[in-house]
Amino acid sequence: MEKLSGYHGVILEVDLTSGKVDKKPLSPEDAWRFVGGRGLGMKLLWDRLKKSRLNPLSPENPLIFMSGPFSGLPVPSASRACVVTKSPHTSPLKSKYKFASTISYANVGGFIGPEIRFAGYDGIIISGKSSSPVYLVIEDDRVELREAKKFWGMKTDEFDRKLTEELGDRRFKTCYIGPAGENLVEYAAILHTAARAAGRGGVGCVMGSKNLKAIAIRGTKVPPVADHKRFITLLEEARQGFKGAPLTESWRRYGTASSIVTSSDAGSQAVKNYREGTFPEAAQISGVAAEKRIWVRDFACFCCPLACKKSGAVRSGPYAGLVHDGPEYETGTMLGANLLISDLEGLMKAIYDVDDYGLDQISTGNVLGFLMEAYEKGYIDSAFLDGLDLKWGDVPSTIQMIGKIARREGVGDLASKGVRALAEKIGQDSSKFAIHVKGHELAAWNVHVSTSRAVCYATANRGACHLNGGNPRSQNNTAMNDCTGLCSFAQGGFRPGLLRELLSSITGEEWTDEDYAKTGERVYNLEKAMNYREGFRREDDNLPDRFFEEPLTVGPKKGAVLNRDEFSKIMDNYYQERGWDIKTSKPSSEKLKSLGLDFVLKEIGS
Amino acid sequence: MGKVKDSKLTILSLAPPILTRREFLKSSAVSGSAILVSALFISRGSAQEASRPRYAMILVDYNKCTGCRTCETVCSAFNNKVKVGEEELPGLGNPYLSNIRVLAFNPDVDIPVACLMCRDNPCIEACPVEPDPKTGRKALYRDEKTLAIKNDLARCIGCQSCADACRAKRVGAIIPNPRTGYPERMCTLCDGDPQCVKYCPYGALSYVVGQIDGRHYGLSPEKIAERLTELWYYHQPAR
Repeated sequence: MEKLSGYHGVILEVDLTSGKVDKKPLSPEDAWRFVGGRGLGMKLLWDRLKKSRLNPLSPENPLIFMSGPFSGLPVPSASRACVVTKSPHTSPLKSKYKFASTISYANVGGFIGPEIRFAGYDGIIISGKSSSPVYLVIEDDRVELREAKKFWGMKTDEFDRKLTEELGDRRFKTCYIGPAGENLVEYAAILHTAARAAGRGGVGCVMGSKNLKAIAIRGTKVPPVADHKRFITLLEEARQGFKGAPLTESWRRYGTASSIVTSSDAGSQAVKNYREGTFPEAAQISGVAAEKRIWVRDFACFCCPLACKKSGAVRSGPYAGLVHDGPEYETGTMLGANLLISDLEGLMKAIYDVDDYGLDQISTGNVLGFLMEAYEKGYIDSAFLDGLDLKWGDVPSTIQMIGKIARREGVGDLASKGVRALAEKIGQDSSKFAIHVKGHELAAWNVHVSTSRAVCYATANRGACHLNGGNPRSQNNTAMNDCTGLCSFAQGGFRPGLLRELLSSITGEEWTDEDYAKTGERVYNLEKAMNYREGFRREDDNLPDRFFEEPLTVGPKKGAVLNRDEFSKIMDNYYQERGWDIKTSKPSSEKLKSLGLDFVLKEIGS
Repeated sequence: MGKVKDSKLTILSLAPPILTRREFLKSSAVSGSAILVSALFISRGSAQEASRPRYAMILVDYNKCTGCRTCETVCSAFNNKVKVGEEELPGLGNPYLSNIRVLAFNPDVDIPVACLMCRDNPCIEACPVEPDPKTGRKALYRDEKTLAIKNDLARCIGCQSCADACRAKRVGAIIPNPRTGYPERMCTLCDGDPQCVKYCPYGALSYVVGQIDGRHYGLSPEKIAERLTELWYYHQPAR
């Protein structure tokens, strides 16, 4: 590979320790093989993590903000950026290394991904650690660190406004951490537009460890395209494909919130800390209810025709006057159904606070569910909870607990480390209902009714992930979407083959279906190899006992439970299909070589 | 242009009305605005049309805007064409070069900003360049054919008075080129087929074309009804 089309060919690296700014050329080879976003981010992470055992909160752990080759071009729904780093929140059951953890990535929509490219970069690597709080301002070639002491401790909603005010230009796109990230809560998020988030995997915690409060970006360029005419023609086709399509209409009306009821009806919702799959009161927190009582407007990410984001306002009760997004499926389930909260207005307050503190909605809801169950069962008492009466469905104590976690105050300090740390401390058999994989909390889709969902969570490289896909093919496809910058929600709006044709027109390299699938597979295997190097083995690809031992007791799927032997067989097949060792889950040399990942062989031993 | 003093039109041009969903037809933004416009001004015969002052602008329905910025990319692509071989093609849609810009606020409100096609032209008023004796045009002028504000690069002195006036008195649609100071980002109406209207996935933008001083303007409702009754129910169109 010599020529590089479709990319600026520049990765911006900012070392917060020295304040040094470097514009590094992007290797054409890497761009072709890892594309962008999650994939290219992983390759850059690999290059910087020369060996295992790096403390994720040390200055050496890079925090990588990646766009994809679709980013900054008006491809419908190509709004996603990917934040890649080494996870501060996961660990293997056994490892030689104290700081062993998985790779991590968090995907965020909105405008950051495109704006990185408008500024003339394909990605941004943040390394080092600032001695005091700073924020980074990028305006095309001008890159500058500014003092952020006055903003430290500020919650995200207020900070979003204050930062725009200080920048004096509404065209800046910003992302930032809240108190949770500053206080190194392991599952802190990076927020954008006060309600969008690179939420999962503790990326906000890593940002906090660097004393970096925010990044503000503004640019005036567009990325180059290899075959202009072809791109314009395909773009027109893509746009027309979304017009009036059923997919478009359904996303616009309810966004993901439509699943709150349908998932409950299917027994696949996280209810009462995943004890159940059906929430009898789901309708009260549903999209239909929210449309009537909360939602005001639909909002969309860059060039997205779906507008699944719903902003709303609380009109009555103790939280009247609150303005925020939600509920959507994940937020509404994790803080609603999973906690048996059916008070829609109270749920909105919880969602708002989690965002405002800069926490991950999913992990936070999961942690709260665990605490409620442990409290109900008498494993912990009110004193353990600093006097809180954390009962199922109780909004005020939920709100207080969220604040405690973000501030790491009292019990919040332990809870800030996630359900696994809590279960280790609480002991007894509480690990059976500590709902995580590799330390990363499960999301709002329950597992009892779906072995494919079980595989999805168990094998996800960042720890439990609901978007991972339930088989290699689907996982590779998702990985590829995360590379290009496309939102997975929109994929169905493109005619088969259109995405790779668009990518071909942009990069000037003809992408086949096989290339597309193989690239996703390459990314997935690189991630797996990094995890393997840290000590993650097959026994880490497991699920909490709950799903095998406690059948659902209510709803249409009453009695549903996973069968351990069946799960084990499916996992055998999974590893075989992957070309990974059935016993250890180690990727085979042949597989790695066939994907051009020879360079990882000597690190994990062939 | 600019001579017609018409209070209702001025109101329309000063601030784009916030139209509710009911005020627009669902299916087509253009036909929706046509309803609105025809109520105010229905043009006379086509022979006279050219000589009558016309009016055109992009109207925003803030209720429908989702802040996706598709308008920015299609505006930029159309108005910044690129030459590929012998062909002139739309550009890649760099939002920076767009004549319409969506400003995002917290709490979520998105405001697309574009030239309002003001009837009283504060930008032209502010232009200090002496009118050309032949055309009567300052450096900044309204193009009679496209109805858009244009800048005569040969005569513009880059003083930015027009941009200042637009910012102070209206929406700040005019952005001076950071290097030359010449005014940029005036809406061109895309030769009568505004791309932002055409491509907005949410139907939030409409293209309004009206004939000011139309034959119903300023008449009482009774009079308008009488004329429309005649036109709609009793008029025999020549076939």
